[in-house]
Amino acid sequence: MADFGYISLVLALVAAVYAVFAFVFAGRGKNPVLAHSARNSLLVVGGLVTLAVGIMLFALLTHNFRIEYVAQYTSSDLSWNYLLSAIWAGNSGSLLFWAWLLAIFSLIAVLQKRDTGRELVPYAAATLMFIEAFFLVLLLTVANPFKELSFTPAEGYGLNPLLENPGMLFHPPSLLAGYVTFTIPFAFAFAALLMRRLGDEWLMVIRRWTLLAWLFLGIGNLIGAWWAYVELGWGGYWAWDPVENASFVPWLVATAFLHSIMMQRRRGMLKVWNISLITLTFVLAILGTFLTRSGVLSSVHTFAADPVLGTMFLSFIGAVVITSAALVYYRYPDLRSESEMESLLSRESTFLLNNLLLVGAAFAVLLGTFFPIISEAVRGVKISVGPPFFNQVNTPIFLAIILLAGICTLIGWRRASAKNLLRHFLAPGVAAVLAAAVLFVAGLRQWPAIVALAICAFVVATIFYEWFRGTRARHRMRGHNYLKSFGGLIMSNRPRYGGYIVHLAIILITIGIVGSSLYDVEKETTLMPNDSLTINNYVLTYDSLDSYDTLSKTVVSASLDVYNRGKFIGTVTPEKYFHRNYEQAVTEVAIRSSLLEDLYVILIGWDESGGATAFKVMVKPLVNWIWLGGIVLVVGGLLAFWPEGRTAPAPRKEGTD
Amino acid sequence: MTTITGYRTILCIVLLVTGLTLFPAAAARAATLSELAKEFICQCGCTLVLDSCTHAECHSKTQMTALLQQKIDEGLPPAEITALFVRQYGEQVLASPPKKGFNLTAWLLPFAAILAGAALVYVMLRKWVRQGNRPQPGAAAPPTAETDDPYARRLERELRDFGEKGFR
Repeated sequence: MADFGYISLVLALVAAVYAVFAFVFAGRGKNPVLAHSARNSLLVVGGLVTLAVGIMLFALLTHNFRIEYVAQYTSSDLSWNYLLSAIWAGNSGSLLFWAWLLAIFSLIAVLQKRDTGRELVPYAAATLMFIEAFFLVLLLTVANPFKELSFTPAEGYGLNPLLENPGMLFHPPSLLAGYVTFTIPFAFAFAALLMRRLGDEWLMVIRRWTLLAWLFLGIGNLIGAWWAYVELGWGGYWAWDPVENASFVPWLVATAFLHSIMMQRRRGMLKVWNISLITLTFVLAILGTFLTRSGVLSSVHTFAADPVLGTMFLSFIGAVVITSAALVYYRYPDLRSESEMESLLSRESTFLLNNLLLVGAAFAVLLGTFFPIISEAVRGVKISVGPPFFNQVNTPIFLAIILLAGICTLIGWRRASAKNLLRHFLAPGVAAVLAAAVLFVAGLRQWPAIVALAICAFVVATIFYEWFRGTRARHRMRGHNYLKSFGGLIMSNRPRYGGYIVHLAIILITIGIVGSSLYDVEKETTLMPNDSLTINNYVLTYDSLDSYDTLSKTVVSASLDVYNRGKFIGTVTPEKYFHRNYEQAVTEVAIRSSLLEDLYVILIGWDESGGATAFKVMVKPLVNWIWLGGIVLVVGGLLAFWPEGRTAPAPRKEGTD
Repeated sequence: MTTITGYRTILCIVLLVTGLTLFPAAAARAATLSELAKEFICQCGCTLVLDSCTHAECHSKTQMTALLQQKIDEGLPPAEITALFVRQYGEQVLASPPKKGFNLTAWLLPFAAILAGAALVYVMLRKWVRQGNRPQPGAAAPPTAETDDPYARRLERELRDFGEKGFR
């Protein structure tokens, strides 16, 4: 069976290479027969890679331990959902998943019915198939998922118990889908460069693909943060690990791109910048894939430390960068924009600053991530760059970005007058000052928190003020009631108002981060049965320690009764798992969650004889706001992603502008 | 007007630069075990700070935490505890590079890059504004202030443009 999988990948490679040439020649010669054949070859690639994935999934479900990958990442006691998810648990499986997603997304992007950008399709498809071929070569040479062992083991090694969490079903595929989806906008941008069609059509084609990739990556990161929070038992959700950073950096650059393309669409500006940003986003996405597999940086997320694989990825990245840079240089005369602005005080200026800060933040994260290597190369000294560095460097930059989101909302395109600005910023400014005052009166004394939350209040006020102005204007002009006017406003320009909802999501996430990182409280203590621990308003009374066996592990579970302000609110049971096929014990934290705060209880250890048991207890305010922000982000993202229903141009009266 | 904009730019630059010093390093005020445990990288290979080591049973974490607690109990100031850890484990034990020598590159380069970018953006904006304000024969002067009515008209125009021409 493994041979069938391998052969299907070989045939897929042949079809992908054929597709590259067929699309190029079809594009150049305008040959409809060759174009038809090229499209069919895309179907063949998609079908063959799907077949390979199907074979791998079948091998995983049927415990075919003869296949090394299956033996390495599964065992016969694993439930079907984790068996299926094992496809992205390891290096070669996740690369196979990468190649499959790319084949399917390429198929959709090429066969999609479109009004604009049809001429770009052949070269974009050739680019996509070239990248697909690269991944197929990796799978057939250095990362063969169908590699067989010389014997059939009776049992597999099993999935790392830390991966047995619902997060495993969504976090890796979402991140991988994000990385892969960025290939589509890159391919169309590359095609636009090749074909010298550097107007707006490539932007029209790729906006929704970029937004989809951005959403996948954002959701993937948030699910990963939630997973780390509930599973790893350290009470945090973001460790600034190199691989986390590698997935955050392209998201930041893509955020900049999603803003800057509006400048090109409206004003014909930033053409070189936009092409460069999307190329950079794609390169950074590949860099993320490279980092998890090359062993170049130590990370808890590392799949593999294969220097050959690393070299191949690095060569690919180098080739993409050099080719794209050369093309941009060669096409520069066509990319020069007719940039004109009427005032420094305009939304255009805030968009440029927003881009600068987002790319600056990406640079700061990237520099910190690679600085250990740079330091070792320059000074010969190994150093670490961890959370204190990233928090200090990024906090002011991110606060500036958030503040700018508020300012940008109220500044009009082209020109804003100081008088107008004062009028529109008065209410949000008052909201920010009021928020700061209320927080101070409520007892907050950490000024970074007060500043951050006041900025959040300002941004929220600007968004609601903008919605109010828009709703009122529509109500006056069309006579609809306010609810209908608001609904009409949102639905009539979904990208814009979806974007505002995403801004609200970022505010919710920021509030959650401020609360949980600046106002968390923790206590570590050893309790005897019936002893109590007090933390904030909570009293936890240790009841008992139990132990029981399941098929795969021994579970040690502690029970503690929890009282909040003297009222019994339930029992928590932090646990430790001792898996038979895994050396390390796994911590299962107990969390009592509310919108206001989380009570986070970790079982640290116990004295076998005396009954003394050690616990770490934390109270983490507002963590749920982060996850709530994630949901709002999805809502706003989907609203912005929703297909644009075009309307026929209406006859215009002179002078309405 | 130009002077005021110039002052604003300088103010923005100053605010951005001071951001680095306004958010002080936790090390300067770290005193408890919990705080200090966030300042050192666990040496088990997990690459995370002591406080976040993902291993449920970690010999390295236990040993390092015990040493930290011992030195805190002895009343050693955080700076001396840091020096002791660096002597014992090397510079890589620090969760962030000390702000001196070559390490300053990591601390300052992002801000320097943003400032350089801001200067470039400012120069470009000035150039584009000059180009945009060249008088064009027959062109009406753009409105310098908006009232509610122009806002409503602008909104309608933008929403109509979106409906007809796609995202903008």
